[in-house]
Amino acid sequence: MTTGFSLYGWLIGLGQGVLRWLFGWWTVVFIGAQLAVLALSPSSYGAEARGAVLRQIYRAAGPGLPGFTTLMALFNVVLIRILVVTAFAYGLTQYALDAVVRVLVLELIPLIAALYVAVEYTIPGGSELYKLRRSGALQALRERGVEPLSHEVLPRVLAGLFAVLLLAALSCFLSLVLAYIAVHGFTLAGVPSYNHAVGNIFNPVVSLIFSMKTLLFAIAVALLPVANALRDIPRRASRTSVELQGLVQMFVLMLVIEIASLIGNYY
Amino acid sequence: MTTPQDPTPPALPEPQAPPLPGDGEPADARGELPPASRRSQRALEFRAALLLILMALLIGASVLYLMWVRGAFEATQKLYLAADDSEGVVVGMDMTFSGFPIGRVSRIELVEAGTVRIHVDVPVRSAHWLRTSSVFTLEKGLVGASRLRAFTGVLDDPPLPPESERIVLRGDVSAEIPKMVADARDVLQNLNRLTEAESALAGTLTEIRTFTGRLNSAKGGLMAAVTGNEADSKRVAELLDRTNQLVKNLDTVAVRVDGVVKKADTQVLGKDGLVTDAQAAVRQLNTLLQDVRQTVVKIDGVLKEVQGVASNANQATTNLGDLRADVESSLLKIDALITELNRKWPFAPKEKEVKLP
Repeated sequence: MTTGFSLYGWLIGLGQGVLRWLFGWWTVVFIGAQLAVLALSPSSYGAEARGAVLRQIYRAAGPGLPGFTTLMALFNVVLIRILVVTAFAYGLTQYALDAVVRVLVLELIPLIAALYVAVEYTIPGGSELYKLRRSGALQALRERGVEPLSHEVLPRVLAGLFAVLLLAALSCFLSLVLAYIAVHGFTLAGVPSYNHAVGNIFNPVVSLIFSMKTLLFAIAVALLPVANALRDIPRRASRTSVELQGLVQMFVLMLVIEIASLIGNYY
Repeated sequence: MTTPQDPTPPALPEPQAPPLPGDGEPADARGELPPASRRSQRALEFRAALLLILMALLIGASVLYLMWVRGAFEATQKLYLAADDSEGVVVGMDMTFSGFPIGRVSRIELVEAGTVRIHVDVPVRSAHWLRTSSVFTLEKGLVGASRLRAFTGVLDDPPLPPESERIVLRGDVSAEIPKMVADARDVLQNLNRLTEAESALAGTLTEIRTFTGRLNSAKGGLMAAVTGNEADSKRVAELLDRTNQLVKNLDTVAVRVDGVVKKADTQVLGKDGLVTDAQAAVRQLNTLLQDVRQTVVKIDGVLKEVQGVASNANQATTNLGDLRADVESSLLKIDALITELNRKWPFAPKEKEVKLP
């Protein structure tokens, strides 16, 4: 008996791994499709379900909103100041606003909002759902004739989506206002030129990529932890917990979305 | 629990699942929340609805704002600019007038003539800056993007009609660099040629050095440098001495001339000088002339009288002529009468001649 390297065995292992990987993503996509159908069905928004969705929305966005907004405002002020002072120092004042809006609004804010919601709400939510499934509570619900996908999963996904969009929109608004104040000061004299500059940056392509990116971030953040909770992730040869594996998967997906958006914006 | 055969590492301990709402409760108790809890849930839902409304407002306002700043609610007119190269022109770039954006490139296309056609949307409220005499330029600096600019020299010209087509002039700084470098190289070559050892400039400088050397030398100094040898410079020095002597002599002569002039002045302009006498003579001459004038006036009167006499004589001469004609006619009549008498009188003498007294 040989214990050496076997190409056949390695290839079989590789094929199985690829298949498992594809199956895992297929499960995620399938659950996403089911949830999309449920989200677009009016029957999912009965009085009780609507209440559940609203409560989850508040849980996702409400408690973290003031803290996140304040933190983002501080972060914005610091970053805008750095960019503006650097641009002034190099005599490139006309590009200061452009750089601020592009760096903050287009790139950083959607990413930070998505990460915040993921850490604050969707990953703990996914973990909770995973524990419910492991404990058989979802099965019990199903036996009682209550579809757990529409009663337990859909509100969390919708809440995650909503929270990312709300935080991103609010932070973008705040960032635009702070950028105006940082560049022009407390005066209305710069409004026309500022509007023109913002209009130049947000051309149709950039606006489309920006909204698509934010939406995809929101979907990734809301869906992946939940989808991972509903399937058995094959344990790897590591001590990483299921939640962390899901988190890593989510980060990878967000990275792919970010790279795609960067390619779309700057190439 | 893990067994020795289990290849997977031990997982982290799984915490207990939280209770589901309604899970484990009696069926009749499900959904029957206490009044306080129900009220708090309603409040929660209300806040969530407020958040939803806030998000809808934010996104709606953002979309409207972006449409507004992109000029979606603004009437525009088209302007077509023809260029030979589209390099540096991008869709969305501004066209500026005096630094202010008054239009935006909406499209770039290659037309059949092989030129580039740039479509510019100009808001109607800014279109009055563009006149028929406006000039459009596309400038490409060393740093930064290209700039499309409009210049209007005469703002009283008729406004540019919509859908006009104009030629855009290119001003490319980077394209000028190779030409500038070539020119600079020529200049440097010329400079090298000027400064090299065999050049005319170097020769001139050598000559100047020799000249200044001679100038500074003890043999003759400036004169020797100018004349070329020491002997000539000495002659020049002698010439100068003689000239000096001559000037001195001239000075003496001038003093003498001055004395002569003074004497002449006394004789001519003095009290009994020539000029005084001449003045008296002139005065006498003046009196004499006045007398002569009076005499001439008298002569003039005499001449007038003579003229009258002459005219009278002339008149008398005319009258004499008439008298002579009358006498002649009378004689002719007498002659005719005598002839008649002779013809009729038989004793008439043969001579028919009448002897006048």
